[in-house]
Amino acid sequence: MKWKTLLASALLMSGMSTGAAFAQEEGGEAPPIQDLPREETLILQNPEGVINNPGWFNIWVSAGGGTSTGLHQLMMDTLWYIDPNEGIDGVNYNSLASAPPEYNDDFTEMTVSLSEGIYWSDGEEFTADDVVFTVQTQMDTPGLVWSGAFSTQVESVEAVDDYTVKFTLQAPNSRFHSVFSVRWNAAWIMPEHIFSEVDDIMSYDFAEPVGLGPYTLHSYDPNGTWYIWQKRDDWDRTTVAEYGEPAPQYVIYRNNMPIDNRLIEMRNGNLDMIHDLSPEGMFSIVEQEDDVRGWFPGFPYAHPDPTLPMFIFNHQNEKFEDAKVRWALALMLEARTLSMASYRGAATLSAISIPPTGTHPDDYHGPMQDELINFELDTGESTIKPYNPDVGLEIAEFVRPQFGDEVPTDEEEIRRAFGYGWWGQDIEAAGELLRSAGFTQEGNQWMMPNGEPFGFTVLIPSEGVINRLGTIAAQTWTQNGVQVTAEVAPDIWPRTEAGDFEMEVGWAVETWGGHPDLSFFLDSYHSQYVSEPGEIQPARNWMRWTNPELDALIEEVRQSDFSDLERNVELGREFVRLHLQDMPNIPVMSYNVFVAMSERYWTGYPTAENPYANPVNNWANSRYILTQLEPVSQ
Amino acid sequence: MKAYLWFAAKRAIQLLVVVFFGVSIAFFITNLSPIDPVQQTLSRITSRSGFSPEAVEQMRTALTELYGVDGSMFEQYLNFWRRLSTGDLGPSLIAFPTPAMTLVMRALPWTVGLLAFSIMMTWLLGNMLGGLAGYFQNNRLLKAFGVVAMGVQPIPYYIVAFLMLILFGFIWPILPISGGFAMNVRPGWNMPFILSVLQHAILPSMSLILVGFGTWFLGMRSLVSNIVTEDYVTYAELAGVKRNRIVFAYVMRNAAVPQLTALAMTLGAIFSGTIITEQVFNYPGIGTLLVDAVNGGDNATVLAVSTVAIFSVAVAIFIVDLIHPILDPRVKAE
Repeated sequence: MKWKTLLASALLMSGMSTGAAFAQEEGGEAPPIQDLPREETLILQNPEGVINNPGWFNIWVSAGGGTSTGLHQLMMDTLWYIDPNEGIDGVNYNSLASAPPEYNDDFTEMTVSLSEGIYWSDGEEFTADDVVFTVQTQMDTPGLVWSGAFSTQVESVEAVDDYTVKFTLQAPNSRFHSVFSVRWNAAWIMPEHIFSEVDDIMSYDFAEPVGLGPYTLHSYDPNGTWYIWQKRDDWDRTTVAEYGEPAPQYVIYRNNMPIDNRLIEMRNGNLDMIHDLSPEGMFSIVEQEDDVRGWFPGFPYAHPDPTLPMFIFNHQNEKFEDAKVRWALALMLEARTLSMASYRGAATLSAISIPPTGTHPDDYHGPMQDELINFELDTGESTIKPYNPDVGLEIAEFVRPQFGDEVPTDEEEIRRAFGYGWWGQDIEAAGELLRSAGFTQEGNQWMMPNGEPFGFTVLIPSEGVINRLGTIAAQTWTQNGVQVTAEVAPDIWPRTEAGDFEMEVGWAVETWGGHPDLSFFLDSYHSQYVSEPGEIQPARNWMRWTNPELDALIEEVRQSDFSDLERNVELGREFVRLHLQDMPNIPVMSYNVFVAMSERYWTGYPTAENPYANPVNNWANSRYILTQLEPVSQ
Repeated sequence: MKAYLWFAAKRAIQLLVVVFFGVSIAFFITNLSPIDPVQQTLSRITSRSGFSPEAVEQMRTALTELYGVDGSMFEQYLNFWRRLSTGDLGPSLIAFPTPAMTLVMRALPWTVGLLAFSIMMTWLLGNMLGGLAGYFQNNRLLKAFGVVAMGVQPIPYYIVAFLMLILFGFIWPILPISGGFAMNVRPGWNMPFILSVLQHAILPSMSLILVGFGTWFLGMRSLVSNIVTEDYVTYAELAGVKRNRIVFAYVMRNAAVPQLTALAMTLGAIFSGTIITEQVFNYPGIGTLLVDAVNGGDNATVLAVSTVAIFSVAVAIFIVDLIHPILDPRVKAE
C-alpha cells in the first residue's frame, strides 16, 4: 500500500508541475534566462496585488496590467515631472519637454519645446509626432485612459516642427500641463511608429513594449508577481541621463507581498526597498537590522506622504450642515490619542488641509503658525483660540521613554517629524458650539434640534493605520456624548463616490508635495463635481462641499500663472483660511509611509537628511533614485 | 449490469439538472453585486487630474459599451448561456479584454496541483493512520498520532501557515516563501523549472497537510472504532481470517465509504481556492483571482470560476456515486 501512496503522490506532484508548465507556456511569455548578479540588481517591493493581466503593457488601456511593476517608473516618459520632495536639482524636472510650458495671455494655447536626442528603446527617434499622435489618438478613441482628459480640454494639437508642439484649448486653463506632469502618474507618450500600425488599440497588449525610459523589459512572471527590467545600452539617449547613469543593471519589482513576507525577504537579502510597512513592522526591522533604515534616521522613521487622512463629512447629510457641528466634533478629539492609536506616535499631524510634507511646511505650516495660534473661534457663548502649537513636542516627549535616543531633540526637527500642532481637545467649547447650533444634552447624550439622539456611522477601511484612526475617533466621540459607530467597509470607495455614507476616514487631498501649487487637488473641490444626493459622482470632492467663495478661488487658480509661486502660495493660504472657517472635513495627519531601505547592497537612497526624491518606489519619479544609488561593494 | 446503467443514467440526468440550476443561481447572485465594474474602472482612471465631469461621463458611456454590461439582467442571462454553449464567458473586466476563461485556465493548474496533492496526501495519510489507530487501539505510536491530530486540528490555518513561514523562511531559511517558481528558471518542460515548482510548493502544501490531517485521522479512527465492535468483524476474527484482510478488506473498506464521499465534497474546495495559502505564500492560483474579481465587480471572471467549480464538483460527486455500488454492496443491492 505504501508504494501506491508514493506513486499517487509522485503522479500528483508531477501533474502539478505539468499543469503549471502548461499554464506558463500557454501564456507564451519570454522567460528569464539567467541568474542575476545580486550586486548589480536592485529589488523593490511593488504594493500592487497579483497582476491579473501580466503580459499587458499597453498602459493607455486600463486592462489589469500593472503600472507599479516598473512599467511607468522605468519604461515610460512624458513631458514633466514634479517631485514630492526637494528633487535632485529642484522640484520641477523637464523631461521630454526641454522647458516649462508656454501659455498665451489668456491661457487658451500651450506650446511645448521638446528635448532633442531622445530615442525609443528600438532606436527610433522621439519627435513631436509622438506627442501629437498620443493626444489625437486618445481624443479619437473613447475608452483610452486619457481620452476624456484630452477630448474635453483640447481643441486641436499640432506639431509646429520636429521638436515643438502647440495645443489649442477649448477653454482657458493655466494648469493644462498637469495632464503631462508626473508625480505618481500622468499621460505617457505613445510610440507613434508602433501604435499607428495597430488596428485596434483597445485590444493591443503591447507585449514587446518599447519605451523612452532607461530600462527595457527583461522578463516577468506569467503569474503576475514579479517583473525584471534591464538597463538599456543606450541609456544616455534617455531623459534620465541628464541626472546621471542609473546604477543598477537590473531592477526587479515584486508584488503581492504580505507584510510578513516583506520583512523576511529583506532580512534574507531578497528585497532592497519595502514600499510600506505597519508601524510595528518598521520598528522591528530597524531595531534588528543594522543596515536597514527609514526616511528619518530615528523615530518616527516614516516618510510623510503628500496625502492627508481626514474625517470626511458628507455635506449632503443634514446632520453636518452647520459648521458649528463640524467644529464641535473636531474639538472633541484628542491629538495624542489619535497619533498613538493609529501610528503608535509616529504620525505627522496637520491642523490645516495641506499635508505637512515636501516643501509644504516651509510654504504653509511654518509661515501660518502665528495665524493659527491667533485663530479665534466663536462658539456662540465665548471666543476661544483652539490651536495648540506644541502637540508635536508633547508627543515626542511621550514616546521618548520607549524609543530613547531615536526621538529627535531639536525643536524644529520634532515639528517636521511630529507636526507643527493640532487642535486642543476642548469638550466645553464643543458643547457651546453644539448648543448654539440648537443641540441639547440629556445626561451625557447630545440630542439634535429635531429631538433625536445625535449619532452617525463612520466608514473605515478594513485594516491599517486608518482603520485604527477611525476606531479610536469613534470611541472618543461616543465617550463625549455622540453615538458614533465605526463600520468596517471594504467597499468604502464605491460608497464614497455614491454618497452612501455619513462620515468616512480617508483622504480627499493629494498634493504635488514638493511644489506649493495646490491646483492638483484644489480643482477637485469645485462644486461642478458635486452630484445630486444619492447619485454617483467622479472621484472628486468626496465630501460634496459646495462653497461659492471656494469656487471663485479655484477659478482664479485656473487662470493664474503656474510659475508665479508667490501668488500661488497666497491663493493656497486663502484656501487654508476658508477651510478653517468652514471645517468641511477634519484634517488629521499626513499618510506616513514606512519605507524600509536596506543598505546591504545599495546606498544613496533618499532620506530626510538628503530629501532629493520621494522614497515611495511605486511612484514614477522614483526613477531618479536610480541615478543616485551606489553599490555597497564598490 | 442493466440495473447499473439505469442507475448511472439517472445520476447523469441529476448532474445536468444540478449544473443548470447551480450555474443559473451563480449568475443571478453574481449580478446582484452592488459593485459596478464601470465605476471601478472610472475611479481608477479619473483619480488622476484633468477629468472634468463631462470627461467622466464620456468615459462612462465608452466603457459601458466596451464591457457589454448594458441591457436588462434577463437579456444578459440569455446572452450568458449563448456564450457558454461556445465555451466563451466573455472578457474579464479586471483584465479587459482578456477572456475570463483565459485567466481561470492560467490560475487553475496551480491551485488544482497544490490542493489536489495536499488533499489527497491528507486523505490518504489521515485515513490510513486513523483507520489503524481505530483498530489497534493500544499501539503507542498510533496513539501519539492521535495526540498530534487533536493538538493541531483546532489551530487556525493562518497560524500554522505563519509558523511554517517563520520556521523555514526566517529562522531556518531553507525553503522559498514566495511565488510559484524561482525567477531564474525558464517556465516549461525542463527539470530546473519542475524542481523549482516542487520546491516552492513544499511550504504551502506542508501547511495544508498538517492542518487537514487531523480531521481525516480523527474521523476515520472514530468510524473504525465503531466498526470493530460489529458482529461480522468478531465473527471474522473467530473464524481465523488473517488480520491484514480483516483490517483492510472488512473494516477500512467499509469505513472508507463516507470518507470517500467527504473527499469528493472537499475537492470542491479546490475551485474556491486556497485564498489564505495564496496570500501567505504569495502563491499563484484561483483564490486570489476570485477575490480580485469579486472586488473588481468582474462578473465574467466570477462566473467563469463558479461555472468551472459547479461543473467539477458535480462531476466529482457523480463519479463517487458511480463508485459507491462497487465499494458498498448495500448500494449495489438498491
